[in-house]
Amino acid sequence: MKAVILAGGKGANLGPISATRPIPMIRVGGRTLFDNTLNLLKSAGINDIFVVVGHQKEKMIECISEYSNNGLNLHYVEQKTAEDIGGAVLQVRNKISPGEFFMLIYGDTLTAANIFSKTQQSFHSFKCPVASICLPPSNEMFGNVFLNAHMKITRIIEKPKGDELGNYVLSGVFILSASFFDLLEKKGRSMEKALKSLVGEENLRASMWEDEWLDIVYPWEILTANRVLMDSWKESSIAKSARLEGNVTIQGVVHIEDDVIIKAGAVIEGPCSIGKGCYIGNNSLIRSYTSLGNYCSVGYGVELKNCVILDNTRVGRLSFIGDSVLGEGVDFGAGTMTVNRAVDWKPISVKSGNRPINTGLLKLGTFIGDKVVVGAGNTIAPGTIVPPGKVLAPRYTVGGK
Amino acid sequence: MCGISGVVGFKNIVDSLYQGILNLEYRGYDSCGVALMNGTRLLIKKDVGEVEKFFRKENVLSLKSQIGLAHTRWATHGKVVRRNTHPFTSGDGKFAVVHNGIISNYRALRDQLIHEKVRFLSDTDTEVIPHLLEKFYKKHKNIEEAMVKTLNLLEGSFALAFITVHQPDQIYCAKRESPLMLGIGDEIKFIGSDFNAFIEHTKNAVILDDGEYAIVSRDAYVVKNYVTRKEVAKPITKIDWDSETSRKGGYPHYMLKEIYEQPQMVSTVLELDISDLDEVADMILKSDTAYLVGVGTTFYVAKFAQYVFSSLAGVFLPSISSDEFVGLANLNRKSMVLAISQSGETYDTLSAIKQGKAAHAKTAAVVNVMGSSIARMVDKVVLQNSGPEISVISTKAAFSQMAVMILIALRLGLKAKKITRGQYEKHLASLRDLPGIIQNILNERSGFIHRIASNHSKVRHWLYLGRGIYYPIALEAALKMKEVAYVHAEGMPGGFLKHGTLALIDKEIYSVVFIPPREDKFLYQATIHSVEEIRARSGFVLGIHFDDRGKNRDLFSEELILPPVPPLVAPLIQLVIGQLLAYFTATSLKCNVDKPRFLAKSVTVG
Repeated sequence: MKAVILAGGKGANLGPISATRPIPMIRVGGRTLFDNTLNLLKSAGINDIFVVVGHQKEKMIECISEYSNNGLNLHYVEQKTAEDIGGAVLQVRNKISPGEFFMLIYGDTLTAANIFSKTQQSFHSFKCPVASICLPPSNEMFGNVFLNAHMKITRIIEKPKGDELGNYVLSGVFILSASFFDLLEKKGRSMEKALKSLVGEENLRASMWEDEWLDIVYPWEILTANRVLMDSWKESSIAKSARLEGNVTIQGVVHIEDDVIIKAGAVIEGPCSIGKGCYIGNNSLIRSYTSLGNYCSVGYGVELKNCVILDNTRVGRLSFIGDSVLGEGVDFGAGTMTVNRAVDWKPISVKSGNRPINTGLLKLGTFIGDKVVVGAGNTIAPGTIVPPGKVLAPRYTVGGK
Repeated sequence: MCGISGVVGFKNIVDSLYQGILNLEYRGYDSCGVALMNGTRLLIKKDVGEVEKFFRKENVLSLKSQIGLAHTRWATHGKVVRRNTHPFTSGDGKFAVVHNGIISNYRALRDQLIHEKVRFLSDTDTEVIPHLLEKFYKKHKNIEEAMVKTLNLLEGSFALAFITVHQPDQIYCAKRESPLMLGIGDEIKFIGSDFNAFIEHTKNAVILDDGEYAIVSRDAYVVKNYVTRKEVAKPITKIDWDSETSRKGGYPHYMLKEIYEQPQMVSTVLELDISDLDEVADMILKSDTAYLVGVGTTFYVAKFAQYVFSSLAGVFLPSISSDEFVGLANLNRKSMVLAISQSGETYDTLSAIKQGKAAHAKTAAVVNVMGSSIARMVDKVVLQNSGPEISVISTKAAFSQMAVMILIALRLGLKAKKITRGQYEKHLASLRDLPGIIQNILNERSGFIHRIASNHSKVRHWLYLGRGIYYPIALEAALKMKEVAYVHAEGMPGGFLKHGTLALIDKEIYSVVFIPPREDKFLYQATIHSVEEIRARSGFVLGIHFDDRGKNRDLFSEELILPPVPPLVAPLIQLVIGQLLAYFTATSLKCNVDKPRFLAKSVTVG
């Protein structure tokens, strides 16, 4: 069976992190979401994969052409204009033969266990189009997929009003037949209308997914994705070329890649992942659910906790980064603090666009775009978003301008 | 409690044997084994563990044989170790036996055999059987003769089967008190503990009765009585279960699938033959005392029925847990025992019926499995037709039984003139609306229940409270929580709180309260009072209620609001919520939902 991954979405609410990269290229727990999807597809026995690229497509294309996971046939299809999902799906129309069934995957979702095998199994028992459904982790996302006892979907309400309805949502994995393209055309290229039409024909079955599942919409969900992946780890790996000095303490499950240098006195508490060529300074404390990208540098006495830090980022000495996401090439000056809770322990709000969104989280730090420079001595308020490329002046208590 | 399956055919039967035993795994799953015939040599594979793992580990599916027996074990005698796993072979390795049941005189038989220098390799009661077969075969040089001699020596209960190198194309089997049946296909024959063993291949079954044995080859079979030795003419029973309904479909677990089948169950129950229900109602009417009997979940069904009979038919029927029946029931010719059992093989309930029969009391039963021991023993049986229930946790079967009890009570109420025709029709209309109501609740509330369950899955202690008919609902919902999620949940009448239990209320113990609709004024007030008692002591209360106006009121710590429903069916709706609460707690805790620890589907041991 062929698979189609939709990787062209903009991730409007994902803030500074998706501004400069396609969502599937976000790296958590030592691998990109894309990598995770491909690995699961491979073990589900799906080798022919078409990726629809759009937003920041050059990065996606580069990744696909360099991709070397043996046994996978990866191709990309360009989405010409910024269209919605229906338009994106139609891009692969000529890749699927009439009568053929294919798997459609939304690229911004994540599961640790194999949702693709499960959906395939359901397809084999029903032998008709299948939509994977799941119960979402938060209240806000509740949708309503109505089922009968035979797993036939009888109605779909995408975003029910109020809090009257709470049930399964579509989890972004489908198995559809080539005739779905005609349906899409007929329904004005609207995915929602085409699916509803399938439901109307009583021709869509559900495959229930009960393991953890994430739709990465908001920047703090990158941290959840990180946690979900790390929780599925069973064993540690430390590359042969990694250099650990004396008195380094390692607890729990850790992934430490090639050429990492960890200086004396550092404490690493798993699960955490340290990418290629990272430098961890003396006496630093790397706490659980930290994901460091490649070639990062962490100075003396830094504390990291539940954070995702992308490649080539530098964290100056005596800083604290907790419950935060830092983009690529970020430069944090010495003594930078990401404050991660309110004084009154109220849930933290994040300003996305102009509206503050209550995250419901009692602990949350900041979200920093690529190539941001933060001068020494800054204290960053919980829930702050810093767009890519911004330079924040250092904070001096004596001297300076 | 064990499962037996066997196949004999022209082609390789190993796949069919695997499917058969896999379908019986719900009967017990602590160890597994197969006996196959390789030319004229017996091939035995067995080990502890679940069927699927065992077949994979031993690579059984790569083997070939035209005859075979398989067994899945639920230990009663001897530890769960490989040497106690079936099949057992005779000392000369020429007989391989599988057995379900308990040989009560095995110690005496064993001592005798040991005296005759037979070496035993296991701690089980079963092992005496192959040794006896070998002994008698040596004497008579006739397999059937050896079998009959052996059977007549055995006391206790058994369904057993063996294959032997002396006649490598026949399965020999026999039955007393434990279930066994034959599946009759063209050029292929099956044996099994129940229909599930062969339902994918044939719908023609021959149900063996106590004291019968059968010799089965691929193209013929014969059934005889092992006492009289006469041949018995057996009718072929057509099974109308669809094999598709035995499978999981797109559901992650059978338990959830079976919860989702409950709307259909109500419709099935409404189609039951009214004359069957009337007959039971008449029996109750004519008796001095009618005892409602069940154990575990079915005891809670009995308790539920007790409230229903009282409110709809104005009669008080004592409900007794069947394991306590001996010490409580006063039986005579004018008494009646109305038993409830899903499998129809429940040991304790079977004993209660036997006790009733011994006292010449009338007996009736509501069961799900036709041809089961209880179904055949009682004077009147109501088959609930719920179809196979695969999950060890009972949901739809118990739910259907409650619906059946409502119907019997309605018929009785009408006969006894406790309700008018008009009231009867109104209640019936409520039942007809029930499938749609449940379907809606499953479709519109599951997510909320899932969220509540996963938020509180770490809670170790729950009080489940209800008053009136909501009390048995609380009991049953709490039992689901215990069985499937291994969480301590205590069902209790709301009124018990102030008689001591309030002392337990603290941050560690959470409460679920099943609240009746407002129309049930007295019950509603009394239940709300229980909620207030807990809240006054800062206890956590999850309120499950039908009262939209109660929304956002500070009464509950957390609430689940259900749409308004007719009062008659409200308890059944609450039960469905209780089932889902247990299910989602179990999935949050990553429990083995369909096969919880220490529980077998039908408990056929005392």
